Amino acid sequence: MIPIDFTVNGEERRIEVEPNTTVLEALREVLHLTGTKEGCGVGECGTCTVLLDGSPVVSCLLLAGDVAGRDVTTVEGLAVDGALDEVQRAFVAAGAVQCGFCTPAMVLVVEALLASGAQPTREAAAAALGGVLCRCGSYPKVLDAVAALTGGAT
Amino acid sequence: MTVGERIPRVDAVEKVTGAAVYGSDVALAGMLHGAVLRSPHPHARIVSIDVSRARRAPGVAAVVTGRDFPFTFGSAVKDQPFLAIDRVRYVGEPVVAVAADTERRAQEALDLIDVEYEALPAVFDLRDALADGAPLVHPDLHTYERGSHQIVPHSNVNTLYHFERGDLAAGFAAADLVVEEEYTAQALSHAALETHASVAVWNPIRGDYTLWVSTDRPFHLRDELAGALGVPSTKVRLVVGYVGGSFGGKNTLVSEAVAVALARHAGGRPVRVGFSREEDLTTSQLRVPAILRLKTGATSDGILLAQSADILWGSGAYTSNTVGVAVRGAQSVVGPYRTPNVAITSRQVYTNTPVTGSYRGYGVTQVTWACESQMDEIARRLGIDPLEVRLRNAYEEGDPFLNGQIMRGVNVRESLERAAEQIGWGSVERPPAPHLRRGKGIAALIKPTATPTSSNCVIEVQEDGEVVVSCSAPEIGSGQATVLAQMAADTIGVSLDRVTIVPTDTASSPYNGPVASSRTTFHVGNAIRLAGGEVRAEILRVAAGKLGADPDLLDLRDGTVYEGSQARISLAELLGGPAFSGRSVIGSARYSSAGSPLLKAEPGLEWMSSIFWMVGAHAAEVEVDLETGVVRVVAVAAAHDVGRAINPVTCEQQIEGGVVMGLSNALFEQLHSDEGRIGNGSFTDYKIATIQDTPRIVPIIVESEHPEAPFGAKGIGEPAAAATPPAIANALCDALGIRIRDLPLAAERVLEALLAARDEENGSAPGGGEPP
Repeated sequence: MIPIDFTVNGEERRIEVEPNTTVLEALREVLHLTGTKEGCGVGECGTCTVLLDGSPVVSCLLLAGDVAGRDVTTVEGLAVDGALDEVQRAFVAAGAVQCGFCTPAMVLVVEALLASGAQPTREAAAAALGGVLCRCGSYPKVLDAVAALTGGAT
Repeated sequence: MTVGERIPRVDAVEKVTGAAVYGSDVALAGMLHGAVLRSPHPHARIVSIDVSRARRAPGVAAVVTGRDFPFTFGSAVKDQPFLAIDRVRYVGEPVVAVAADTERRAQEALDLIDVEYEALPAVFDLRDALADGAPLVHPDLHTYERGSHQIVPHSNVNTLYHFERGDLAAGFAAADLVVEEEYTAQALSHAALETHASVAVWNPIRGDYTLWVSTDRPFHLRDELAGALGVPSTKVRLVVGYVGGSFGGKNTLVSEAVAVALARHAGGRPVRVGFSREEDLTTSQLRVPAILRLKTGATSDGILLAQSADILWGSGAYTSNTVGVAVRGAQSVVGPYRTPNVAITSRQVYTNTPVTGSYRGYGVTQVTWACESQMDEIARRLGIDPLEVRLRNAYEEGDPFLNGQIMRGVNVRESLERAAEQIGWGSVERPPAPHLRRGKGIAALIKPTATPTSSNCVIEVQEDGEVVVSCSAPEIGSGQATVLAQMAADTIGVSLDRVTIVPTDTASSPYNGPVASSRTTFHVGNAIRLAGGEVRAEILRVAAGKLGADPDLLDLRDGTVYEGSQARISLAELLGGPAFSGRSVIGSARYSSAGSPLLKAEPGLEWMSSIFWMVGAHAAEVEVDLETGVVRVVAVAAAHDVGRAINPVTCEQQIEGGVVMGLSNALFEQLHSDEGRIGNGSFTDYKIATIQDTPRIVPIIVESEHPEAPFGAKGIGEPAAAATPPAIANALCDALGIRIRDLPLAAERVLEALLAARDEENGSAPGGGEPP
């Protein structure tokens, strides 16, 4: 077991894990932050996306040791005292949620896109979200949510 | 009122915050983790299994083989063992299960198991499976416990179905044009983002099982498990939270079979079994592949006179729930058209390949592919607009189905016309570059719902005015919690935010048929209407007593009792009262479609009736690259007759999602296998549509009247994916003049067809085109 110190959703945490523990396992099984979902475990579906120092990464391909001293944001870190942030509100309003299994990843990618100050076209937004799969096909309404957030045309 | 409004989904906030708990999230104290050793052979006898080293491995708590848990299941044919017993029948079949304190240790213990196999002759191809002398996947099929459907003993045919009406020969004889072609629909993975996962615990004192699962049919699974284990259904309890996508894939025993077998041998500790993505894509029930030979006769005006369909389906190594696909699904092969003379033959065979089963549409995606490709071929051969041919034959309100049932609420015409209009039917788009070609295509569909089925509902208005609805309809993603809550709120007279649809627990929730077949809004909605009406009436009686008013003059709106326009008392005031003296108002009801006068049909054929019919039409525009064969879908306009939209947002979600899935099925998805071994069990190699593949989608909600529908609503989830693939293929044909009858329309297949067409044009032998 090795100790790892990192920041999760603004809170400094120390965990003790086996060296081969992934960030996804650390979040779900050690910290019980189950909002981050596993869709494949091999970096192909994007379901487990979290923000690492503000940038989207697939947490199944990172070892917990890789995030020592860094800042991880999961979907649980977005709403403040139960109040949704603007990206979450846009997803709810646009009907961008179906089974919801990919939703945390979709929301986090849009958080990063928005934080970058981009005013993406529909194509650019799709490119940014291209790594997150959704079998329900929530894609059109996810793009509607992005458009609503960035003032773009739906 | 909320019905008909664009209400945000009631589950959306939980899902955007990560608070929603799915079956795969369940973790219990003392929980063990399971792993499965799978067969490397498509067909083999198990000579011996040595698990002694695995049992001694660190952290291992249970190792179970088929001999340790010798049960079989199967709702149509009881042919499938929980773990292979003496024989394996497909690559990937579970042989030994291990439970350990961590998933890693369970996986590592698998390497310590020695299984000796003796290979047996195997059969993979559907036609080979029919041949005389083919290896039999189940030599004892005729001895198995099964339903009333027909089989062919001592063969691989596990389902045989034939239907005929009218005079087929006379119909073909009178036709000016007869088209006969063969179409194929491939096996597909459901590929829900949540893989199969379940937690099972066996209580050694009570001898019962509790499972936390992601499924769309809790009661069916309960009964299937109880039946397999030979215990009363009260000995099996299923608890269902949010389901991370199902699409027909989570409705039989998949991870559950392994979890139950392990739990029985884990001394009372819970066991979680979560499948990897590879296990999920390759061994967790696929869409039934089909070869469909279709022959249609029409007049020179394009009026259909006769159609025969000969369909060969593949169940894989076990029957699972494919029988309904081969029987009920096959009936939709006629499409939403009045064809007077029809013959349908369905045969379904076992092969030594992974198990198949229901997939969104329950056979309708496969038959619609054939029917709608052929409709286009007829139109083109006759020189009639493909839209016009369809309109000339489309079912109208009150037309009889094949069995004579008078159909209500079948707005095929408006679906076709509005889809065509939204795609700009008839106008030719200029391709943006010389190596590109554009084309447009259209396709329609018809689908029944499972009939007869029943739903029960218990509604409790609690002493604080909160409304709790228990109706056993898990939220699988398609929005049922939202539309059911809307119907409950409006029926009772409370605001939507006071209504909670509680999760399903078979120990305490009322019986419901499956969340499948697009039946939930209609059936559970009807039960809610009835139970909601009961509690509303009771509340008004209680209020009348308390207020000394005439109950007939009282109204309940937004959780407040009104007398005329005057607010008299809130629900909390009415039902609350002093400490320890609150009152609940409880209502319950059952809705069953059995016995409905709407099902009346020709004698003996009532079973083919559907309590409502779903129809729709998709129109697609595609762009094809002549150099690469790559097909890009530019736009899809998709119109569906939903009866009435309880919530246009959730209807649009189903339509848009259906188009994305249909597009993905049509262009990308194929499981590549060699001797029964699937080689592409990952999302890199089994591509599904991404957000970047998503075209412009125009969802169109068509409405119609149905006399028995709650608030007028029918269903929408299942049919939404079926018409997209043929619409794309028809658009491809419009662009290139080339008809492709096999799915998927992958770039290499399109390019091959383009090169063959060029060879033919140049008069050279096929394949002699480009120099090496």
